[in-house]
Amino acid sequence: MISTIALKEITEMRRDDRFRWAGAVVLALLLVSLGIGWSSYRELERQHATAQQETRKNWLTQGQKSPHSAAHYGVYAFKPKMPLSLVDRGVDPYTGVAVWLEAHKQNDFRYRPAQDANSLARFGELTASTVLQTLVPLLIILFSFAAFTGERENGTLRQLLSLGVAPSALAAGKALGVAGALGLLLVPAAAVGSAAISLASGDLDSGRSILLGLFYLLYFAAFVGVSLAISAWVKSSRVALIALLGFWIFNCLIAPRAASDLSKRVYPTPSSFAFAKAMQVDLNNGLDPHAASQERAKELQARVLKQYKVDRIEDLPVSYAGLSLMAGEEHGDEVYDRHYARLWDQFERQVHLQDLIGLVSPLMSVRSLSMGLAGTDFQQHRHFATAAEQYRRYFIQEVNTDMVKNAIGKDYGYLRGNDLWGTVKEFRYTAPDLGWVLQQHRAALLLLCLWCLCGVALAYLATRRLRVE
Amino acid sequence: MLEAVELSKSYGAHQALHRLNLRIDPGEVYCLLGANGAGKTTTINLFLNFVEPTSGTATVNGLDVTKQALESKRHLAYIPETVMLYKNLTGLENLEYFAALSGLPAYSQAELLGFLQEAGLQAEAAHRRIGGYSKGMRQKVGISIALAKKAKALLLDEPTSGLDPKASNEFSELLKRLSDRGVAILMATHDLFRAKESGTRVGMMKHGRLMESLSTSDIGHADLEQLYLRHMHD
Amino acid sequence: MLFSIMRNEWRTLLAERSLPAIGLLLALTIGYGIYNGQAWVSFMRESLAATQAEYAERTQKLQSDFLAYEAGSKKPVGFSDPRGASAVGGTSAVPYVALTPGPLAALSVGQSDLYPYYFKLSLRSKYLTLSNDEIENPVNLLSGRFDLAFVIVYLYPLLILALTYNLLSSEHEQGTLAMTLANPVTLKTLMAAKVLTRGLALTVLSLAILVVAIFGLTLTGNGVAWRLALWAVVMLVYGAFWFVLAVGINALGRNSSANALLLAGCWLCFALLVPALLNLASTAMYPVPSRVEMIQAMRNAGKEAQQRGSQTLARYFEDHPELAPAGGGRPDFASLSTAAQQEVDRQIQPILYRYEQQVSAQQILVDRFCYLSPAVLTQQALNDLAGTGIGAYRHFNQQADRFLKTWQDYFFPLIFARKLFVSAELASLPRYVEVPEPGSDIVRRVLLSLAGILVPTLVLTVWAIRRLNRYRLAA
Repeated sequence: MISTIALKEITEMRRDDRFRWAGAVVLALLLVSLGIGWSSYRELERQHATAQQETRKNWLTQGQKSPHSAAHYGVYAFKPKMPLSLVDRGVDPYTGVAVWLEAHKQNDFRYRPAQDANSLARFGELTASTVLQTLVPLLIILFSFAAFTGERENGTLRQLLSLGVAPSALAAGKALGVAGALGLLLVPAAAVGSAAISLASGDLDSGRSILLGLFYLLYFAAFVGVSLAISAWVKSSRVALIALLGFWIFNCLIAPRAASDLSKRVYPTPSSFAFAKAMQVDLNNGLDPHAASQERAKELQARVLKQYKVDRIEDLPVSYAGLSLMAGEEHGDEVYDRHYARLWDQFERQVHLQDLIGLVSPLMSVRSLSMGLAGTDFQQHRHFATAAEQYRRYFIQEVNTDMVKNAIGKDYGYLRGNDLWGTVKEFRYTAPDLGWVLQQHRAALLLLCLWCLCGVALAYLATRRLRVE
Repeated sequence: MLEAVELSKSYGAHQALHRLNLRIDPGEVYCLLGANGAGKTTTINLFLNFVEPTSGTATVNGLDVTKQALESKRHLAYIPETVMLYKNLTGLENLEYFAALSGLPAYSQAELLGFLQEAGLQAEAAHRRIGGYSKGMRQKVGISIALAKKAKALLLDEPTSGLDPKASNEFSELLKRLSDRGVAILMATHDLFRAKESGTRVGMMKHGRLMESLSTSDIGHADLEQLYLRHMHD
Repeated sequence: MLFSIMRNEWRTLLAERSLPAIGLLLALTIGYGIYNGQAWVSFMRESLAATQAEYAERTQKLQSDFLAYEAGSKKPVGFSDPRGASAVGGTSAVPYVALTPGPLAALSVGQSDLYPYYFKLSLRSKYLTLSNDEIENPVNLLSGRFDLAFVIVYLYPLLILALTYNLLSSEHEQGTLAMTLANPVTLKTLMAAKVLTRGLALTVLSLAILVVAIFGLTLTGNGVAWRLALWAVVMLVYGAFWFVLAVGINALGRNSSANALLLAGCWLCFALLVPALLNLASTAMYPVPSRVEMIQAMRNAGKEAQQRGSQTLARYFEDHPELAPAGGGRPDFASLSTAAQQEVDRQIQPILYRYEQQVSAQQILVDRFCYLSPAVLTQQALNDLAGTGIGAYRHFNQQADRFLKTWQDYFFPLIFARKLFVSAELASLPRYVEVPEPGSDIVRRVLLSLAGILVPTLVLTVWAIRRLNRYRLAA
């Protein structure tokens, strides 16, 4: 029974020019965006790999210099891209592409790709994720707004129900019909997408890919459910269409923007000027590595002299300059930890608040999960930034330790060569695993499942009291 | 008042109306009989200039409806099977609107209520929204529009179908009063009884042709039915 | 006649309660949009005030330090002499170059949340100075802002379409169209009355809400009046476009659902698809390489210039003989590093230029084809009026570059001449005077955008009237 209804629905849709055209347009956009995503992923990946190699080469071949100069020279860290980022670019255009890791300072990421864009970029970019998040729901609305109202207007509903077809079977058949029609588009797109991902990376990250597909399916199911419910509920196709378009506008257009302004309001962040200034104040209250003339310097001196049981700095068995550099780094790290943690926690609170908006807009939930799986969400940006900062502290520590041990009496005059630079390990970033990602997006995951259940329940309830007239 | 001369309308190969010659004078009530698709509604649509004739002319009060489209409509009133009105407005507001559209100087509320009353609508109903009106009540608002417009010709498209006998009878009475005032009436109908009762002449149409036209006073009920069935047969 | 129909339309609109609902929606969205925009502008103004305060404090301290050096009560200490031209021009006396938000900046956030709106100068190219990006959650940048321009560009057309998608089809479906046209009224008059009623109602409503909302703001600065006037004109013309489109689609004679679908499709095309596809085409034709390449080039250039040291300086003097100190002698650290930095700046210039070149090639393409979408044109016009568009930032960057050049030209000879400043000279350093973008430039761009919306509106009007003439009640 249900499959008969579904087949009839698909046949009807396939014969309708409107559906054929709309479906073809969405499929074409999806394929184009996948293609573009694939080529830009490959290009970016190549650039990043080259840059990462070169920054390492620069570090290794910097020649004779003081270890502290080398620390100042530093290295750059470039965030690697995950293959799934070709589906969803997420926040990547709006975070800097690289961070400079140098002595004394935790720097910000610089060069946001969006700043190198034309004036249209803010209208939204065409990526596979935008097509899936905004256009496919529209297609679902087109496919199903008249599911019941249309039958009622044609008078066929009366006929159907007089034959003893259960309304719930009718609803299930219609849902299956819409799913089948969507499948005609999404199955080839998914095949092309998986091929692109495995071509791009040589390895289809199947766990993440399957989950990504599943989340989008949940999102679509919620839309099918809501559309069928509305179509059964209201009295005419016209009203159903207007109500569903209204929901779509709220979901795709209003909610994300309203959420971003709301979260900024609730969890304000400082201006970059105020942030830098507050950090500077804290840094200044501590030890300045270049001019050891402040109180902390005296304290350090007293402590070191006591520790090594000597009276004069010249008698120390270690390099005092190196020790004071290390003390400076320690103090700096404390300050950075405090300030950046405060800022990033605030960002994360904003993101979590936006995830909660998913209660009224399923787009917010699926967007959050999609970015998470593609490795392009804020949380994974922070994860990388933290890893890069840890590496900065590691390599500064390495060169400073060498200085403490070997620069006795020479301090900044102590020079080292490429052999020391070679002992510093290269920066290797491991992206967080799937469990970590899902943990970060658990609210979104929960709400998306809730939406899907609600959609199904609504459709069931609405069809149970289906009106014939 | 209403006149069709060699009036034809075809849609591609299909002849919806074939060389209709018809003249309805003031005070006459002409009933068009015929099966569905015989060309009755097409004739009315042609007089309203809702469709353009393929050839021939239709005139209202001597005005060619295609050449003087707006002018000719000043003299016309139209009542379809169901009088369609703005359902969120009251009967009075609907009348006020359509009366204003007819281009006559504005009526006072009392005058408008008078028209509604004349058409047989109860006073309290005039202030209710159309949404709750029965078909007969809508019909009465339609008549009151014709009254307010001081129409010289009335085009009716199956106005009594779906009305209960009492409402139908009231409607016939109204038509009679209008024709007494010299209004020319063209009515498409399936109702032979009503045609004999309120019509002065009847015409029988088939496949877009006017087969026969005769005066109702010349023929009895039973004969009219016989004649109708003979035409509709074959 | 027209008036009678308009009165009737007004009655039906009120009876349907659609106008109050739309009024409420407009009031809420406009209010929220302006509130957000205002919050953002206050944030920018506060940041700029903080930079100015920091500059004042810093220069005051510098002045008092100099006076102390001259009185002998304090000794100049540090890695390099704080009185030297390189210290003064490179750090201690550097001013901020800022783009003050324009009078209507609160109405359209535009690109202002993405591009830096002030630079703290140094003697280096401003691309190489430290980060001056405003702190912002990247997720928020991705979503975009809910400002008044967003309400006008995206939501306003939707409200118009909600009021007009069944302008004719509903009358047809109710059957009232036949009743109406049995009277001496043409379809054109009927439609004109319908559009005028809704247009007037919506315009009066939205302008009233805008006026009330704007009263809550304190709009100061140059040209508030003409900017607001043009803002209203852009809104009207953009609204007219959607009205006329709706009339044309209605005149096709389909039912209300089909009209709603077609109009929603048009909206989707103009507001989302055309901009996205145009953006896609421009980035595919003129791809901007990732900045990671630039970073690498910069580092390589820097490394080379530093390794060569005095050689670099010598070559620099060859290129700039007028800067070479007359006395000769061993070059000091400031001269060496300035020459090295200049060498890096010079070497990466072509790379920077390549980025700019690609972006501007994209922009040229966009400027040429933006006429395909009235939504894009409207957004650009509103950004221009608010001073938050590409044009305003281009002007600001040119100004900043020009001032940097002035600043460098002033200090470089002094660095090589090993000049030591005295307190009296601090007041006569080059000063940055912000010249706002000329109003005539803005007006020209806005008028161009307006023309771009007006022409299709007129073409659509002609088309819609033709369709109405051909409209037949009965097929």
